[in-house]
Amino acid sequence: MTRTVLKVQDLHLRFPLGRSMADVAMGRPGRVVNALNGVSLDLIRGETLGVVGESGCGKSTLARCIVRLYKPSDGEIRFNGHEIFATDQRGDRSYNRRVQMMFQDPYSSLNPRMTTGQILAEALRVHEMRPETEIPTRVDELLELVRLPRDARNKLPHEFSGGQRQRIAIARALAVEPEVLIADELVSALDVSVQAQVVNLLLELQQELELTILFVAHDLRLVRHVSNRVAVIYLGRIVEIGDSETLFSHPAHPYSQALLSAAPSLNPDDRGKVTKLEGELPSTLNMPSGCPFHVRCRHASEICKQKVPALLPFEGRGEVACHHVEKINAHA
Amino acid sequence: MEHQTPILEVDGLNTTFYRSGQALPALRDVSFSVARGEVLGLVGESGSGKSVTLRSIIGLARRYGEVTGQVRWQGRDLVPMPDRDLRQIQGREIAMIFQEPMTSLNPLLTVGLQLEETLRAHTDLSKAARRDRAIEMLDLVGIPSAAQRLKDYPHQFSGGMRQRVMIAIALAANPKLLLADEPTTALDVTIQAQILDLILRLAQDMDMGVLLVTHDLGVVAQTCDHVAVMYAGRIVEQGPVRDVLRVPRHPYTVGLMRSVPENLPPRTPLYSVPGVPPSLDVLPKGCAFAPRCAACIAPCEQDRPPLSLITDGRQVACFNPISKAQGNAA
Repeated sequence: MTRTVLKVQDLHLRFPLGRSMADVAMGRPGRVVNALNGVSLDLIRGETLGVVGESGCGKSTLARCIVRLYKPSDGEIRFNGHEIFATDQRGDRSYNRRVQMMFQDPYSSLNPRMTTGQILAEALRVHEMRPETEIPTRVDELLELVRLPRDARNKLPHEFSGGQRQRIAIARALAVEPEVLIADELVSALDVSVQAQVVNLLLELQQELELTILFVAHDLRLVRHVSNRVAVIYLGRIVEIGDSETLFSHPAHPYSQALLSAAPSLNPDDRGKVTKLEGELPSTLNMPSGCPFHVRCRHASEICKQKVPALLPFEGRGEVACHHVEKINAHA
Repeated sequence: MEHQTPILEVDGLNTTFYRSGQALPALRDVSFSVARGEVLGLVGESGSGKSVTLRSIIGLARRYGEVTGQVRWQGRDLVPMPDRDLRQIQGREIAMIFQEPMTSLNPLLTVGLQLEETLRAHTDLSKAARRDRAIEMLDLVGIPSAAQRLKDYPHQFSGGMRQRVMIAIALAANPKLLLADEPTTALDVTIQAQILDLILRLAQDMDMGVLLVTHDLGVVAQTCDHVAVMYAGRIVEQGPVRDVLRVPRHPYTVGLMRSVPENLPPRTPLYSVPGVPPSLDVLPKGCAFAPRCAACIAPCEQDRPPLSLITDGRQVACFNPISKAQGNAA
């Protein structure tokens, strides 16, 4: 079996917005949101790959492409060597079973009219995981797996706290015995202490069940803590990817440097140590030419405006997409 | 940092809401003060009473519940003050910004009109002067080409820019105190850094006090002078930021700090305070934190520990506070 479970290659996703009246009058084509602009990454069996970036950078879009909620405009995603969009999605549910997604909002991702037992049983039935007679036992096992009391099976989602609901979401994903979990801001809506409990559970289950996790989140401290490797996304492109500890302690791309330094530290003596990032994320409707970061980058030169930098290995520290990576890191 | 005499003194503030006849004590015995130019952080988890504190100060809570105690503002008590008089203070002397810049701006009015509205209500400026002041404010909060953007609607601004507009509106009338309720929670870290920086700079330039509500201890560490930690409607620890974050003395503060994944070996279990915060209708008899507390001793279950001074400027509500050495280790 290969080490790479999921291979994403040169993924592009464009959402056409349709032509406005003004566009028609001026004879312009409709506008297009460039959500993903050539994302490539390998998800390695058993690892946790963290994905970070500002809102609108495409991190959730990437997650949604991987579970086939969006169909990419270009590029491919291979799961154990098989292109996932090649097969008929309705006919082939086995991919859906093996790659499960968990969502951010525990209030809108569980059916409010179904009990926990029904929610879990439904997943088991859809994917024919167990004969009907064994379903109740399996539901109990799943509740135990995520440390929920047994009487939880007869309760409705509104009777649970946010943290408990995310446990139900984890149980539902695990019901179908997946290989890969996609966690899209799984704990972002929770208070720190509850967050800690859910993250601990996820890490334990990963060990126990040998799961591979794509962990999408905007909380940098948390991503650093749970991930083996991290990808930093900017405007639909990976600008840096590599070992989590190395990347967080010595980010090489100027955008990673600015993003990571903006996370407020618990040490009051770190005040004023933030690398200021001027301006905001440009609109994906109107992509800058060349390197997507050049408009906010203090190292930008002429070449950055013209040529998109490729994601290349840098000094054994992972891969970085920057024309001036050597120069920038030599100064530092 | 040395501060002048307080401009706001909250003394024994209690707020109670009622649900089907049952009393829910949302705030109990909350006391603190804010000086000009000072940034005080209120930190705690959801439901701890941070936002209710702000709303009780500004008079928004009393419409839905019962507020008692004293909120002394420039020699007057805001708690019993009639709505008519309170409105002269709201927005003019004390301004507030909220978490959601999209829901607190009117989507049907241009931002220029919304700024103008505030200025008309709270200042004596002429129409032309109000327009100049509106441009000046947008400029001050870092919105490029301010004069042109006055006629734009909220949806034409990004999240960070909308929060800047909110700040511009709040500060238009030169308030002496800003109440900020999770002003950066909905924003990205890069934009959060810009907005916090802006609030700090304006507080300094305008010599304005700031009461900043947040759930993020990192934000507290990077922006506040003093901090008050809240749990189940009470302040459990308060003092200068450096002291509290370096050597937390209340077991809850220690737990809260330990659950932040910083300076930990990667992929090791995170600490989390066992149990969940109590529901307001079934608060324990003694200390509200006692059932979850590792340092709990006999008196904790019987009596409520008062918030008392332990060292210079440092208050803790605990019968068995973590010793200095232990607090350091955490």
